[in-house]
Amino acid sequence: MERSELDRHLLEFIRLLREGGISVSLTEVQDALQGLTLIGMADKSQVEGVLQSTLVKSVNQLPWFQEVFRVFFATPEAQSNWQKEAQEKAESWEKGMAETRKELRFQGEELELTDEQRATYMSLPENEKERLKKFLERSEEGVRNGIPVDHSFQPVVEKMFHGSLEYWKRKLGEDFLIAPPGQEGLLSEVERAVRQKEMHYLTKDLKDIPPEEWPEVSKLIRRLSRRLASQVSRRLRQGKRGSLDMRRTVRENLRYGGVLIKQSYRKKRKGKPKFVLICDLSGSMVKYTEFILQFIYGLTSLVAGIETYVFASHLADITPRIRGGIQSFQGMVNTSLTGLVEEFGGGTNLAVSLEELHEQHGHSLSRRTVLFILSDAQTLEGEKAAVYLKKTRRKVREIIWLNTLPEKRWKDVKSIDLFRPYCQMFECNTLEHLQDILKKSPGFV
Amino acid sequence: MKLDMSLNDFEQALTREGYITEKEDRIALTAYLAAQLEKPMLIAGPPGVGKTEIAKALSQVFSANLIRLQCYEGLDENKALYEWNYQRQLIRIQMKEANLREEDLFGLDYLLPRPLLQGLMSEEPSVLLIDEIDKTDAEFEAFLLEVLGEFQVTIPEMGTVKARQRPFVILTSNGERELSDALKRRCVFLYVNPPTVEKEVRILRSKYPELPDKLAFQVAKAVSILRERLALQKIPSIAETMDWAKALLVMGKTDLDPAWVDATLNLLLKSKEDLELFYREMGAERLLGEAKGI
Repeated sequence: MERSELDRHLLEFIRLLREGGISVSLTEVQDALQGLTLIGMADKSQVEGVLQSTLVKSVNQLPWFQEVFRVFFATPEAQSNWQKEAQEKAESWEKGMAETRKELRFQGEELELTDEQRATYMSLPENEKERLKKFLERSEEGVRNGIPVDHSFQPVVEKMFHGSLEYWKRKLGEDFLIAPPGQEGLLSEVERAVRQKEMHYLTKDLKDIPPEEWPEVSKLIRRLSRRLASQVSRRLRQGKRGSLDMRRTVRENLRYGGVLIKQSYRKKRKGKPKFVLICDLSGSMVKYTEFILQFIYGLTSLVAGIETYVFASHLADITPRIRGGIQSFQGMVNTSLTGLVEEFGGGTNLAVSLEELHEQHGHSLSRRTVLFILSDAQTLEGEKAAVYLKKTRRKVREIIWLNTLPEKRWKDVKSIDLFRPYCQMFECNTLEHLQDILKKSPGFV
Repeated sequence: MKLDMSLNDFEQALTREGYITEKEDRIALTAYLAAQLEKPMLIAGPPGVGKTEIAKALSQVFSANLIRLQCYEGLDENKALYEWNYQRQLIRIQMKEANLREEDLFGLDYLLPRPLLQGLMSEEPSVLLIDEIDKTDAEFEAFLLEVLGEFQVTIPEMGTVKARQRPFVILTSNGERELSDALKRRCVFLYVNPPTVEKEVRILRSKYPELPDKLAFQVAKAVSILRERLALQKIPSIAETMDWAKALLVMGKTDLDPAWVDATLNLLLKSKEDLELFYREMGAERLLGEAKGI
């Protein structure tokens, strides 16, 4: 292959890698080129090896890389089939959107909806679509104060549509397309394949993982919990060794007649952090219970002395139940939650729970405490809870909030804005999120 | 460290040194590439898959000295790069030589080079192994970037020391902490998975040629099942597989049986929790049944 042609193909390949979030620098492009020139292009497996070792620098990026490689070096027929499929999908999306525009009109005037809302409408079950269309027809023919309604009634109809579509957006979860599918065949094929591979666990919402996949996922959670534990429990501060400890130096050197042969330094140490975990088991979080319990299990079996609380409308200390020696995950679930079940699954009151934490478990909060809150932040008495959170923040080293609610929906929950000044809040509803949080974790404490 | 051999010859040289590789694991290809491109090699993977062994084998293939910097939490420049031999300087001052100048106290005689500086100052070819880089802190990593970027270091009292021979640098990571993009960009990357059953059999056979084929296969298969099926806190390493095989060999075993698995399991699983997990979720009978394909 000619050098310029090789360059062009390589750059195209790298563009596909970048689409998957793999950042490739110029130096790495040069390394890949030099590597290919050195090893040659005759052996496909070796070419893959060269590209992988020079362009991919993390094990998490491997599934995307492997799929890009498979697709990029596939036969021209397969590539043109993928291209055709992607175009068909894109066309059907466009067609669906055009139909939606035509259907959702009030007295001939198009309803004012966002593209996301239109996409939600497209994904609705047929009977629900019919129901909405009928409602629209009836509204057009409606009568107000004895006079047929006119255009001025349109905002009322739109408001009703916004509410209904928002409800359905939440109900349908993340499983439907809210953006137009790409027209690029290779990319669509890579995305499809990656979703089916290991990454599937990483990017899938934890509430949607079926029971049969949990053993594999729990292994990953355990691996991530281990990283989190080792990150936060680092005790020595990096940097130059501490300042000279004169008192000890003089004492040590008395034996040399006062000549300072041996120096003693003060080691800078962080106090050993104490983990306190507060997990939300209220109604809105029920779907994440499995994840929360796996996370508790992962952390408590790795870090000694961790204090664990669960809350909904009240706080319950489950530390003593867990401490009695962890047997198995199922064993932990049985011992930790038996007798508590009726208290959970209902409304959330973080304010009451934090108040109880301060009053009844004040010993848990100290400058050594790293407090983890696992919750979607949807709570009663948000303002009061924010006051308690502020009070808590003053007492502990750091508060890390793992929020299962998608970040784009945070703006809809008022209390989140109130809580954020007092904690580091991260979106955490997939394992990939948990992994990203760990990347940032050196800044935690 | 450019090599004067083909990839094929390099693979054979590694095998001659007792390091078993397979085409699929890409260990030989990546190491060859790192040497030819003169880039550090970053090896990641779970503990016990033979990351450190790669450095040892490469130092033999390159006929180079192996200089090892074992990283740990709190490692600083003094322990990694150099320190002045303060005691020796003091003794020299105490001798009260008439024409003693300050520069005399800051020469090579009074310098204690630590692994990084040893690597730079080495006249002979060397392999510099920076082991478990993920255990250090981000600040140390940044310092390392500086040294590995230019292969030179400035000692304020002496001036700049440039590498006489660029060492072949190998960094290993168990993934306890995500390394910085800047460091990763400068390296050629290799992820080492636990070995396949076939590869582990080859390793066992090369270390213990007298080990019966059947036993080697059963041992490798059983360890592979333990690694894959159970959520162990620490998966058995290749070294532990070898210890287990050796123990069975010493006991004159030619075939695995449940009683011997029970008796020797602590060579593979070294924590109470892992042992309990094994007996709760699997047990020797089932492990052997699957390892022997019954």
